[in-house]
Amino acid sequence: MFINAMGLILADHRKINLGDLSRPRALAAIPFGGRYRIIDFMLSNMVNSGISQIGVIALSKYKSLMDHVGTGSSWDLDRKQPGLNLLPPYINTANVDRGGEADDLNGLLDFFRAYPHKYVIVADSNVIFNATFDEFVSKHEESGADISVMYNRDSTRYGSPSMILNLDRRGYLRDMMMDPPKPSATRCSLGIAVLDRELLIDLVSESIARGDRDFSIDGLMKLYKQYRVRGIEYKGKVLRINSIPTYFASTMQLLDDAFRNELFGSDLPVYTKVKDEAPTLYGEGNTVSNSVISDGCLITGEVTDSMLFRGVTISKHAIVRSCIIMQDVFVSEGVELENVILDKNCVIRPGIKLVGQQDYPVVIGKGAIV
Amino acid sequence: MARNEIIAMILAGGQGSRLGVLTKHLAKPAVPFGSRYRIIDFPLSNCINSGIETVGVLTQYQPLALNTYIGNGHPWDLDRNKGGAFILPPYQSSERSDWYTGTANAIFQNIEFIENCDPKHVLILSGDHIYKMNYAKMLRTHIREAADATIAVFEVPWEEASRFGLMNTDENDLVIDFEEKPAKPKSNLASMGVYIFTWDVLRRYLVEDERNLKSNHDFGKNIIPRMLQDQAKLTAYRFCGYWKDVGTISSLWESNMDILDRPEELNFRDRDWRIYSKNPVKPAHYIAKNASVINSALTDGCSIYGTVEHSVLSNSVTVEKGAIVKDSILMPGVTVQEGALLDKCIVGFETIIGRNVKAGASVKGKSRFTSPYCQDQITVFERGLKVRDKVEIPGNCMVEIGDDGESNELIEYTFRVR
Repeated sequence: MFINAMGLILADHRKINLGDLSRPRALAAIPFGGRYRIIDFMLSNMVNSGISQIGVIALSKYKSLMDHVGTGSSWDLDRKQPGLNLLPPYINTANVDRGGEADDLNGLLDFFRAYPHKYVIVADSNVIFNATFDEFVSKHEESGADISVMYNRDSTRYGSPSMILNLDRRGYLRDMMMDPPKPSATRCSLGIAVLDRELLIDLVSESIARGDRDFSIDGLMKLYKQYRVRGIEYKGKVLRINSIPTYFASTMQLLDDAFRNELFGSDLPVYTKVKDEAPTLYGEGNTVSNSVISDGCLITGEVTDSMLFRGVTISKHAIVRSCIIMQDVFVSEGVELENVILDKNCVIRPGIKLVGQQDYPVVIGKGAIV
Repeated sequence: MARNEIIAMILAGGQGSRLGVLTKHLAKPAVPFGSRYRIIDFPLSNCINSGIETVGVLTQYQPLALNTYIGNGHPWDLDRNKGGAFILPPYQSSERSDWYTGTANAIFQNIEFIENCDPKHVLILSGDHIYKMNYAKMLRTHIREAADATIAVFEVPWEEASRFGLMNTDENDLVIDFEEKPAKPKSNLASMGVYIFTWDVLRRYLVEDERNLKSNHDFGKNIIPRMLQDQAKLTAYRFCGYWKDVGTISSLWESNMDILDRPEELNFRDRDWRIYSKNPVKPAHYIAKNASVINSALTDGCSIYGTVEHSVLSNSVTVEKGAIVKDSILMPGVTVQEGALLDKCIVGFETIIGRNVKAGASVKGKSRFTSPYCQDQITVFERGLKVRDKVEIPGNCMVEIGDDGESNELIEYTFRVR
């Protein structure tokens, strides 16, 4: 608590594509974990760290992101001095002809200059964990590094794309590789960096002067030859989302008690937009097993090993196995679904059968009627 | 400020003593209801859905829980620049300082608040009924009929009519007589405790009633009869739909079960008339392998490893392996430990039901905890208890902390509930 920092969340990632799920919305706005969107976790982590000025920058398709975060009141970010700053790409006649790749960087500079904080924590939106940044910032402060980046090492397979870091004995970054064919290290970047606000303003100004139009964590880390960039390990549990299969696998991790307890059981709440749904009603003759179910559902069919978002209807004699079913989906009678991801507002007509594979789930886009 | 067409005043100060330990620490309107809600969510949501954006909430008995629950009214969109939710406790003034002595007196003491809002009409509501109602329609009737007061009435079955305050009306639905719980009912139109008054008229009657030392300062007992005596124009407004007074343990239990048995009547899934409530900030609920949840209502933060049948569970309830919860209402944070059986129980906030406890309708025997408030074999647990493992508690019991100490033959220890 009381760390002297502001936050910046990068709602999009140029290298991460979740197909039908990211087509209508920014990466950060993809629904996750029943009642959340991916961004809720990073926003909550920042708010729980006592950070009260947060910028969110989107490249495109930010309507659903704006709908979701609104004034930031769900995170107590609706403040007199704006707590939540949505920084959409700034399009004007001078840059619109540059292929729509708007120069978000000028807006970014204004945001950094508007507040007096010492540090900025910059974060991508593809990792999910529940922790404060207190330790991260104090370790950064003690080490005297220019930039500190967070990594973890819980696996040798992180899915693609992932940035593997090579650190020296004192923790300084010596090399970094995207999806190396033969990983020599298991330290995988979490896409979170902390640095001096003044330094960041300099770096961004230089980028603008050079005509760069991109700003990313990877770009910050690549400065390891000029600046002292140091890695700090995060030891808690982390979910990484960089593709449809990892999205699917991460969701299924939430069915595990130990994992769910670490993510939600601490005294750090995960905030999200309130929907005021009804309680979920379970009818006669349903069977629900090993599943996470959100409010407002009506369940009279069979649900196993699945994640249901808010307002889902599962009709009689429908069978749902290992599926992710998003908000307000209607599954009719006699439908059979296995390893399927259904985006918001889909309707599955009676008797339809859809079967995907665990490594390759079937994805049905938003609002489809099957 | 422009003149308000109507403001609402919710009478939320009553103790609700017939709910026993459920209202020991909080006022009746703050009692959890229907998995996600508290009783007061219904009048508050009805107000905002009807377009009434100035709501005074009159509190008196154990107001802390209610005050913190309502806060600035944000969950109901009542955090307005103009209007909003106002908590109105009794206060001290240079002339007098008094508790609210009756429903009419409570409004009388807040005449200044109402005058500041300068409304044409005042809607009087009570904080202990479960219903969805469009007050705007009722207001239109009130204005069209140019009535002094409009009283919402609900047709009850004739055989039950003598339990209610009844309005006898003429063919134009004008009220000609009011009877409180008559032995021989002449009408089956029960007053719902929802009144719209033309403010100038009500103000006059409140001031007059206050001077009458013999008066109980009650709307039903004094104000309405007095207006009838003066031949003021009182209109009955017929309401059809679900309406239930949840003033007793039995009616609270029944009304909760109605969500499961008659879901189409209250229809919480109706997005055109949402009932809003304060959000507990908990993850979605989890149903484990081999758990069974039949015919029940659940909400965020619950973890179910055992069996839940025909029950209403509030947020953050845990039902452990081998435990059975049947026909019961579990309030936020309750834990039912392994092997326990609850049958027709209402369990207060965060109480822990120990292992292999058996409680409720299916348990035979006698207990010194039998309470006259508990009927129909319903057993009620106070909040913040750890019930000893393996104890057996029959129906019609009220399990509570004694005056003497914190533990007894049923209670292992107690803890603070926020």
